[in-house]
Amino acid sequence: MPEWNAALAARLASLRLAPAREREIIEELSQHLDDRYEELRRDGRPHGEAVALALEEITDEGLLAREMQPLRQAATPPPIVPGAPRARWLNDLGQDVRYAARLLLQGRAWTLVVIALLALGIGANTALFSATDAMLFSSVPVKDPASLVRFHWAGRNDLVTEQDEFGFIRPAAGGQRVRGSMSYPVYQQFAANAAPFADLFALYPDGEINVVIDGQAELANGDSATGNYFSVLGVNARAGRVFTPDDDRPSSPPVAVISSRYWLSRFGNDPAVVGKTIKANDVLVTIIGVLPAGFTGVQHPVPDRMADVVFPLSLDLQLQTSTGRSEGSLLTRPTAWWLQVMGRLHPNATGAQLQAALDGPFKRTARANFDAFLKDLPDDRRNSPSYQNRTQVPQLIVDSARSGFYDADDGVRTSAMILTAVVFVVLLIVCANVANLMLSRAVGRRREISVRLSLGATRSRLVRQLLTEALLLALAGAALGIVVAVFGVGLLPAPASSASVFRGPVLLFAIAAAVVTSLLFGVVPALRATSVDVNAELKEMGRSIAGRRSVLARSLLVVQVALSLVLLVGAGLFLRTLTNLRRVDIGFDPHDILLVRLTPATSGYNQPRSVELFRTLIDRLGAIPGVRAASLSQPALLSGSTSSTGIFVEGDTNFGRTSDVGTPGNERDRSHDINRLIVWPGYFRLLGLPVVMGRDLTPHDDRSSLRVTIINETAARTFFPNENPLGKRFTTSPGGKDYIEIVGVVRDAKYSSVREPAPPTMYDSFMQNPRATAFLTLRTEGPPSAVAPAVRQTIHDTDPNLPIVSIATQVESIERRFSQERLFAQAYALFGGIALLLASVGLFGLMSYNVARRTPEMGIRMALGAQRGSVLSMVMSESMRLVAIGVAVGVAVALAASRFVSTLVYGLNATDALTMIIAVTVLSGVSALAAYLPARRASHVDPAVALRAE
Amino acid sequence: MLERELKKGSAELLILSLVEPRARHGYEISKLIEQRSGGRLRFKVASLYPLLYRLEERGWIVGRWIEKPGERRRRFYRLTPGGRRMLAAQRTHWREFVDAVAQITGPEHA
Repeated sequence: MPEWNAALAARLASLRLAPAREREIIEELSQHLDDRYEELRRDGRPHGEAVALALEEITDEGLLAREMQPLRQAATPPPIVPGAPRARWLNDLGQDVRYAARLLLQGRAWTLVVIALLALGIGANTALFSATDAMLFSSVPVKDPASLVRFHWAGRNDLVTEQDEFGFIRPAAGGQRVRGSMSYPVYQQFAANAAPFADLFALYPDGEINVVIDGQAELANGDSATGNYFSVLGVNARAGRVFTPDDDRPSSPPVAVISSRYWLSRFGNDPAVVGKTIKANDVLVTIIGVLPAGFTGVQHPVPDRMADVVFPLSLDLQLQTSTGRSEGSLLTRPTAWWLQVMGRLHPNATGAQLQAALDGPFKRTARANFDAFLKDLPDDRRNSPSYQNRTQVPQLIVDSARSGFYDADDGVRTSAMILTAVVFVVLLIVCANVANLMLSRAVGRRREISVRLSLGATRSRLVRQLLTEALLLALAGAALGIVVAVFGVGLLPAPASSASVFRGPVLLFAIAAAVVTSLLFGVVPALRATSVDVNAELKEMGRSIAGRRSVLARSLLVVQVALSLVLLVGAGLFLRTLTNLRRVDIGFDPHDILLVRLTPATSGYNQPRSVELFRTLIDRLGAIPGVRAASLSQPALLSGSTSSTGIFVEGDTNFGRTSDVGTPGNERDRSHDINRLIVWPGYFRLLGLPVVMGRDLTPHDDRSSLRVTIINETAARTFFPNENPLGKRFTTSPGGKDYIEIVGVVRDAKYSSVREPAPPTMYDSFMQNPRATAFLTLRTEGPPSAVAPAVRQTIHDTDPNLPIVSIATQVESIERRFSQERLFAQAYALFGGIALLLASVGLFGLMSYNVARRTPEMGIRMALGAQRGSVLSMVMSESMRLVAIGVAVGVAVALAASRFVSTLVYGLNATDALTMIIAVTVLSGVSALAAYLPARRASHVDPAVALRAE
Repeated sequence: MLERELKKGSAELLILSLVEPRARHGYEISKLIEQRSGGRLRFKVASLYPLLYRLEERGWIVGRWIEKPGERRRRFYRLTPGGRRMLAAQRTHWREFVDAVAQITGPEHA
């Protein structure tokens, strides 16, 4: 049988058919020729003649190719092959994708711009989603997190004398406050009663531990956990072993495991770390294992604090006693509530069963331990009013600990919501911008589309083709956007910055964002591009299309301007909020103050010894050149920590309670709360806080003299209205006998929040209330950072075993109070800037296009005597009309959205007129510039040239 | 000129008619045209197949590769419902046209 394929292929070559289609046609035609050849042979023709006659079928001066011309992109139904699946849709898709890719590669610059825009929009959204998803919705990184349960309690708890809490827990359904910590006896009771349903463990975040390794002291983050902690969570050591219940007995040799991060940072991944002995808070401890890198604890899915060292809980007896804490370990105090209790449900057991089984024991145990505590009190304390009628027991709550022991706090939620809105708006602007770019490209492709429509391509097929292009662009944008997201996440504040982008849900989100985005920016241009009037289009390059395109393009531009304005207003609001917060009179001058936090407790200092240490340090640091004064306080003002107590004024029978663990709304109790700062003499002089009544604290106010205190003006007004507070005496515990006398009143200073007014505050003498931790406070000449090296050296020289917990300026410390506002200001300013840029580029592009299209018209106008100035103003006014509509819409949207940020701004309304005016001015200015360039080009049109072109 | 137009217009009708009773492949269609016209009408490959593809694109016929055991696969064309309507319309038009031409060109009735 002769071979026809070559002859056929040569004739079809000029058509450049899709390869599959071409193969099919060749197959079909060559069969026909075979049949013809056989027929001719049957008729008795010789081979050569039969071949020639058969070939005559296709030799007709290019007729075959000419006749098939319209078939270039024709759809081909799939073949029917026994047992083969139908694959039409996929074939079409493959064809669309190849075609789209080829087109996009042709317009490389255009494609790159679009992909970059999309990468920015999708990347910002992906970064934020990855952080939000990690912090709000993901689970703790241990096996089967869904079977983990946590134990909380809601409502007033009268059976607590001291309590630690380390995170935020959402209020219960009725708005009741929920707490998470349990006493050790309660945990023991739980562990015993829960056995049929779950395995429980308990954890306590120790916080900073002084770890001395080879004579080098540094602070590390410590956790203490019951011996079964790792086995219940299913965590194994990557080197050595984890501790077990056998290690968690008071008689066992002290051991600890360390995190992978700590292994690297402190030991350089030295394998010999297992078996090494370190000193933790002056206790010799042997490291027995290294935890896997992926284990970040069970507090939050993305923890803001991660333990470097984990100790068995029984070691707490030694770790805490060694710190000189006079009360000793919390393990020995039955009314201290401090442990986080969690568990893993057995298969088929439920949290509800557990709650039902433990509620009774919970209440009984809490009650019994409080009664025992009361029994041990001296009579006069026990009979004091505050210990009467303390019967309220909270409600036990057992729920899922899939996302950790604590909940993401409201600040995180607010930030996530606001930032999500911002980046979403940016994505919308990107879509509007890309849609405009698609439109302008579609105009250039009108002929192609018309030809294809006239050749029988259906509109839906073309729309699908155009959407495939959009999707391809968006997917490329998403791929690049993931890179953007990796960097973007790093810009977010901790702990969000440690969220990983390379997780299933995040990548799915990026793909979903690409799909949605491609629909957003692709559908309208695709519908518009394919709704051409074929005849009109083929006859001439119809102006009507350009006109219609223009209306849509203008609307998209208005949307961009409006959304940009919303972001700019947001930027303005938060920038002004920051400025306002920085201008707030906090009561003292925070500049040139250095705060050095030390915790001698972790280096084995007891309280009396630490007073001596601090006295030495204050003398030596005060002598450093450049340091004008040295003092200390515990805690520092505006450092984020609060210490408060109740005050019970002598002769005032209207007692309150010291602990605020009651239900909210107990105003009488709260009115007795006073914030407390323990300070060294000279503190007020250093800050520049004048003593307005009475006297300052002096070095003589020590343990050998009467306990004295100084209160601020707000405290004087609150507790002693219309009275002279000097000489008044009070105690900090109900029924207590150790009275404190007020000897002075000092001017108000903000305590922990810059936004709120100064709260009632008392300043106690450090010598009368020694602490084994404090903030050394230095007033410097010039920038505080200049003296920091000398300060470090002096502290090291005084005691090399003494780690510096933190060293920061007072201004830095205050700035940290505004981190959320700063984050918002930065995000709005960054994205507002990007949005403004995009809108300006969009305006520039649109007006350039319009000017180019109307060059002949301009030429005629100028030939007829129009001045350059009038042409300029004509084009400008056309641009600014669009901007004005956008501004009007933007102002309306900004006003409508203002209620979402009204509680976050400070010193102005969320509808602040000045901010709006500034934002509108910036936007108008920048867009006027963007419009001026094309307008200027229009006004420089040479009439002769323009008319010749016509 | 006229001949070509006529041929082209009628060719569609011929093909649609031939695939009306059952699906046929290209060679079969060309043979049937030749046989039934007594050899007077003949389509070359170069004009038959583009026509088939065009009819297919308009949705009047559908070509499918069909493989039968022991044979090479062939592309069979069958009439679609749209093609059936088109065929009916073209038949009517053709008949009217032929009648009209016959009336004009036929022997004068006395």
